[in-house]
Amino acid sequence: MATGPDGVRIAYEVFGTGDPPIVFLPSAPIVHSRQWKGQVPYFSRRHRVVTYDGRGNGRSDRPTEPEAFADDRFVGDLAAVMDDTRTDRAVLVGLCSDGVWRAIRYAVEQPDRVLGIVAFAVGVPRLTPPHPHYVTATAAFEDDAPTHEGWARYNAPFWRHDYPDFARFFFEEITSEPHSTKAIDDAVEWSVGGSVDSMIADARVDFPLDREGVEAICSAVRCPMLIVHGTEDSCQPIARARRLSELTGAPLVEVEGADHMIPGRHPVLANLLIRDFVRSLARDPS
Amino acid sequence: MRADGSVRSEPADRPEQTRARYPDETGVIERDGVRVAWERYGDGSPTILLMPTWSIIHSRLWKQQIPDLARRHRVIAFDGRGNGRSARPPTAEAYAEAEFAADALAVMDATSTERAVVITLSMGAQRGLLLASDHADRVAGMVFIGPSLALQPRAPDREAVNEFLEPPVSDEGWAKYNAHSWRRDYRGFLEFFFSQCFSEAHSTKPIEDAVGWGLETDPETLILTELAPGIGDRDAILARCARVTCPVLVIHGGDDRITPHARGEALARATRGRLVTIEGGGHIPNARDPVKVNLAIRDFVGRLERLERLGRSS
Repeated sequence: MATGPDGVRIAYEVFGTGDPPIVFLPSAPIVHSRQWKGQVPYFSRRHRVVTYDGRGNGRSDRPTEPEAFADDRFVGDLAAVMDDTRTDRAVLVGLCSDGVWRAIRYAVEQPDRVLGIVAFAVGVPRLTPPHPHYVTATAAFEDDAPTHEGWARYNAPFWRHDYPDFARFFFEEITSEPHSTKAIDDAVEWSVGGSVDSMIADARVDFPLDREGVEAICSAVRCPMLIVHGTEDSCQPIARARRLSELTGAPLVEVEGADHMIPGRHPVLANLLIRDFVRSLARDPS
Repeated sequence: MRADGSVRSEPADRPEQTRARYPDETGVIERDGVRVAWERYGDGSPTILLMPTWSIIHSRLWKQQIPDLARRHRVIAFDGRGNGRSARPPTAEAYAEAEFAADALAVMDATSTERAVVITLSMGAQRGLLLASDHADRVAGMVFIGPSLALQPRAPDREAVNEFLEPPVSDEGWAKYNAHSWRRDYRGFLEFFFSQCFSEAHSTKPIEDAVGWGLETDPETLILTELAPGIGDRDAILARCARVTCPVLVIHGGDDRITPHARGEALARATRGRLVTIEGGGHIPNARDPVKVNLAIRDFVGRLERLERLGRSS
């Protein structure tokens, strides 16, 4: 267990040995570290692999006040896990805002400790407008709405009423490739095993930066980065990946036909991309 | 228009999926004017012959065995008459079990295959059993996956709700197993049938594959296969089992809703074979649990090779 900046306990696991170490960031609190089950066995053959459950899910503590889900706390959790596992420098791999944005922030704050970033399904808030369904849903998040069809399920009273129904809707929506039933079932199970109160608290946090602020941070990334985004991503617009690529100069792999959960739904593709990126770091004379 | 003069009922509008491995050699045999297309992959010993099953699907049913087996073995597969690149002869007699067995021997001759390990799925067990009992010298070992042999009763829900050729009284569930139903809604039957074959969770991909292969033939051809001569009753089957001299492996899903697991048990007993049960598995475990099935086949073929070495040294 590592201890986050506010005393929240963060459960981590370490697999295998070998340089460079790879840290997989969690998409918390909606799921936990098992989201990387398609990556851990492969990379731990050659690398020291660190995973951890983000606050609010898995075996980590589940705070329920919104302050606990402020951006800084998540970045602090990553720092605590790096310290506690004595990981001086690592490649960071993340998905969506929980993974990608926090990896970017940490890399900017601690450039000596990040060898590179693999950013799946780029979730950098404010970088471009979100999908319209999020705009509508988040505006009515606290409302006691008369119906809960479609994205109207993204709603605090409904989560308290029937969170599993939201979780199934959500993961079906963002895993729209054919033949995804197993990936969906897994994600729903991890999500339902989490905390609805943590989910609501996390959703109530105001993001502290505007577009200029996030662009300044993205532009300050100095380590190598690989960006991977599905052309059909229904959680994060691909425009965000393209913008991040412009700001950082990092290459962007657009995966034709893929939705949001590329590491879970297309593990071989994801693993080969991560592998080649990690190999390229070793060849980098800098 | 096809090579045998018949016309496909479904346009070939779907390009074939890419394959993990492509054949090293292809050919066609012809018997009584019926052309049957075969493929060869790899060239290790012993040769493995992948038999066709019911013509509702064709040889792509082995797509997850071929790339694995062909690393070590010479693998031969052919499309059963009635589907794939083989002909659709217009009589029921042309789809007799004995014709499929004769096609297999003709393919073995055309590829200079003296003996082979023969692998069957479902109805392929019937033609495979004909080979193993009548042509023991050509069969080094038999693998029966989900064997459809009438050694035990069918599951109660599979007992005919309608007479096959009579207008159906119902169109629900297994009542779709009816000539009129097939003519009216062939795809609907395929989707129902393969959802029963793949009773496991997370089977959308193998179901989609199988329905696609089913659409490469047509209901009239499939009706003929249903009316074709089989291999006889339980006693006739048991008599043939008693004549099987090669080693036998039976692989059967524990939740096979097409042909009950008890049939696989009975076949293993009758042939003094080994039974591997895929717990929770459905009717087509080679497509749904390919790693387990491939490892079971690998173990079996390895054992055969050890037995053959012992035979030569003694």
